[in-house]
Amino acid sequence: MEIRFKIKDEILRYLGYRGQTIDVVIDRMIDDTIEEIKCLIKERYVYKTFNICKEEDGFYLKETDFYLPGEDIKDHLKNSDTCILMSATLGHDVDTKIRYYEKIDMTKALIFDAAATAFIEEFCDRVCKEIEYSLKDTNKVLTSRYSPGYGDFSIGVQQEFLSVLGCQKSIGLTASSNSILIPRKSVTAILGVIEKHEKEKSRSCNDCNKYSTCAFSIGGEVCGY
Amino acid sequence: MDIREKLKNDILIFDGAMGTMIQNLGLKMGELPESLNLNSPEKIIEIHKKYIESGANVITTNTFGVNEIKLKESSYTVEELIHSGVRNAKKAIEDKDVYIALDVGPIGELLEPMGTLSFEEAYDIYKRQILQGVKDEVDLILIETMTDLYEVKAAILAAKENSDLPIFCTMSYEDDGRTFTGCNLTSMVMVLQGLGVDALGVNCSLGPKELEPLIDEVLSISKVPVMVQPNAGLPSVIDGNTVFNILPDEFAKYGARFVQKGVRVIGGCCGTTDRHIKALVNFIKDIKPQKKNVDNIIGVCTPTKSVIIDGVKVIGERINPTGKKLFKKALVDEDIEYILKEAIAQVDAGAEILDVNVGLPEIDEEKTMIKVIKEIQSILDIPLQIDSTDPKVIESGLRIYNGKAIVNSVNGEDKVLDTILPIVKKYGASVIGLTLDEKGIPKGALERFEIAKKIVDRAKDYCIDKEDIIIDCLTLTAAAQQEEVRETLKTLTLVKEELGVKTALGVSNVSFGLPNRGLINKTFLAASLYAGLDLPIIDPLNKAMMDTIKASKVLWNQDKGATEYLKSHENIKSIEEVKKESKESDRDLFEIILSGTKEEAKSVTAELLEYKEPLDIINDYIVPALDLIGERYENGDIFLPQLIRSAETVKSSFEIIKEKIFESSSEDISNGKIILATVNGDIHDIGKNIVKVLLESYNYEIIDLGKNVSSETIVKAAIENDIKLVGLSALMTTTVKSMEDTIEKLKDTDPSVKVMVGGAVLNKEYSEMINADFYAKDAKEAVEIAKTVLG
Repeated sequence: MEIRFKIKDEILRYLGYRGQTIDVVIDRMIDDTIEEIKCLIKERYVYKTFNICKEEDGFYLKETDFYLPGEDIKDHLKNSDTCILMSATLGHDVDTKIRYYEKIDMTKALIFDAAATAFIEEFCDRVCKEIEYSLKDTNKVLTSRYSPGYGDFSIGVQQEFLSVLGCQKSIGLTASSNSILIPRKSVTAILGVIEKHEKEKSRSCNDCNKYSTCAFSIGGEVCGY
Repeated sequence: MDIREKLKNDILIFDGAMGTMIQNLGLKMGELPESLNLNSPEKIIEIHKKYIESGANVITTNTFGVNEIKLKESSYTVEELIHSGVRNAKKAIEDKDVYIALDVGPIGELLEPMGTLSFEEAYDIYKRQILQGVKDEVDLILIETMTDLYEVKAAILAAKENSDLPIFCTMSYEDDGRTFTGCNLTSMVMVLQGLGVDALGVNCSLGPKELEPLIDEVLSISKVPVMVQPNAGLPSVIDGNTVFNILPDEFAKYGARFVQKGVRVIGGCCGTTDRHIKALVNFIKDIKPQKKNVDNIIGVCTPTKSVIIDGVKVIGERINPTGKKLFKKALVDEDIEYILKEAIAQVDAGAEILDVNVGLPEIDEEKTMIKVIKEIQSILDIPLQIDSTDPKVIESGLRIYNGKAIVNSVNGEDKVLDTILPIVKKYGASVIGLTLDEKGIPKGALERFEIAKKIVDRAKDYCIDKEDIIIDCLTLTAAAQQEEVRETLKTLTLVKEELGVKTALGVSNVSFGLPNRGLINKTFLAASLYAGLDLPIIDPLNKAMMDTIKASKVLWNQDKGATEYLKSHENIKSIEEVKKESKESDRDLFEIILSGTKEEAKSVTAELLEYKEPLDIINDYIVPALDLIGERYENGDIFLPQLIRSAETVKSSFEIIKEKIFESSSEDISNGKIILATVNGDIHDIGKNIVKVLLESYNYEIIDLGKNVSSETIVKAAIENDIKLVGLSALMTTTVKSMEDTIEKLKDTDPSVKVMVGGAVLNKEYSEMINADFYAKDAKEAVEIAKTVLG
């Protein structure tokens, strides 16, 4: 029950909800969508640990040829010698259903899209918890997730990111030539492995490339990312 | 010996993994394994040699990922890596009796509608690989580890149309019997054997133990030889490395069992080595190739849904302009949404196959057929029946259709049979044969039966099995040809009993010219079902007809235990309940829009139209309601879903108003036309669609070009429709470039056209940089911009 309420709060947040009166129809649509989406989701994920080799304007993953450029991601991993590349997806059925609702009922499509986003984030949280649990004997913890496309961490790395993790074969995740993840409700992210005492303080909104246009920050909230 | 000959009498043994062997040699993750073809040929030759020594009689070139998409960032060409890959295989073989399979894997990007790659682009990518393989004289083409049936179709067509080589094809499944994209085993078998592959089956993703039930299913239905390449068990990660845990002997034990069950082509995938293949050769050396019993499945499919015609299945007939003024208008206006709504309504009403007919003299039927099929398949999971008299339209439709379709139709004329049947065969479709010929429809049952027989025989000449023939005995009108109505039913029974094929029939013609047509129709339908009709072509929204089918299914013992029938009667509301519910509508349109109840808006608008002019309804109810809703949204009193719901309610109301205006053909009342599109390379459509709903609620006519739209298409549509305002959407930094290109081309063509842009990565400054006229931060602002430009 608790998870469901949390999901609902998240869905409302993605829908731009700021305490207005929610009428019964919308309220029931959200509840129905949550149930509907649960039946469509096929959660799959994969992750691997890599050693980091830092360079002036980015870093290499030691066991690969993969170079990750950008000050922001470098800063995110400043206290880490190893990092984890993870990817997760909800599968194609959710995408198809959103396309379907966009043709017949935009309100439902909007809610469905927001719900799917909430579900993939919640799934990623669980994956991260599992990874962190695997580190429990080492006194190490994980940083937050940092994804291609945020800050100056180029979205252009998406294809190579997936290739290093073997995502197409293992979880059916691909990227289009414009680096759009397909299935759409998917996430790729890097997590730094750090000593417990270095657990980073929350990242500030000022660092985000969406800061000037972010609907959340304009409303005095945070996106939760 | 030609490998097709060998396959008739022998078991073929393929090699095991290439990737695993290369990784054991120390290749880095993410590095291009095929670059070794040129840089370390000796290593690749060594791997091939090991497999040959272990007893494999087919080796696979190291070319799995050699396609122009995956090589884009590299310095290699497709041609040089395939050429060197084949050369290495040939060097390893020397003079031994071993075949070379050109390895062809997935492109790595997904096709539309899931991804952005078009079917035609995928075809061209594969064609390049095939042509080089042919040039280098490989013995066969192996298309493997596929998860998307549509992509497989592109690869097979590329192979068929550019070579005469045998094609072996395998797809990768999860233990639920689905690929990552949802393709099931029955659909795979139907489509692949229809396209004429020489062997088909499953590989990768699972070990032999987990694959066994899947293999059993494929063996039970596949008419072509079955191929299997399992992994060496399920993968597990140890110290960051993926390892597979099945040892050679256990792998071989399963392999032997598969061969005993009837598998004819066997090898290994991830985790298997020359030791696995050696054990396999050893375990199966004394097993003779098995003849297997195959259930002839009769049906059609999409990748994710197979419809087996083992009882009555309804074909929905509503996607057809004949006698429908609004449908014709939708076709002329390219109003895909209207057509999609017809499709959705039929599926909701219980149709299991949809007939698609878009024949109208004033439109390009071929282009429209392609578009309608693609659009329906992007949102609905239902097999389609391509209905046209033009062979070009049929072929283009079959080519881009994803799955196995029905062609409607051929008849007994030689010219028609000899034109259409080769197309049906090439694309592996089913076909409806009408019992008429150049002399018209014969009166008597026997003559009609003769035509049916001719069609079945001629299809056989073209190697089309009778399982893929459906005969339509043709319904005549009782009012004009009363005596011949019975002849249709007699023919039906004859065709079923003597020819053993399935039957289809459009039934509603029977009642033309008579009162209470519904009564005649359902009576005739019941009689046809009794006579043996399998595929009634009807309007599934007609409840009496659907109910007749449900009842007949009970009476003729198809609906076992009357399960479906009982289920359909569970939720039937009493008349009192329905009356009570419909009483709510004392609210006026203004309130209905505010509360956002779409269905209610339709009925209330229709009532208002009885005594009010359309423009008065708009001015008295719709405009004030929209103003209030807009204000509430601006003030933060309601949030986005509520705004959109009200906008959709207005849209429903407008639909009714416009229908009325169209019928009385009075003036156009829209506030102007706007083009909306999500730019090339981008598929984030939801933002654009929100803008669309809101603009439509303000009575702008929207030409929605969809997503991933090229600049040329946008410019062309702008010229053709004399457009003054274009709205473009992009969500990715990578696709804003397409937006900039489109704006440039639009301005070059017509400097007066205004462009508004929106999307998550944009802001005002950015939009000015790419020369947009307006930046719309949200849908509401897009409305304000439209008002400024168009009034």
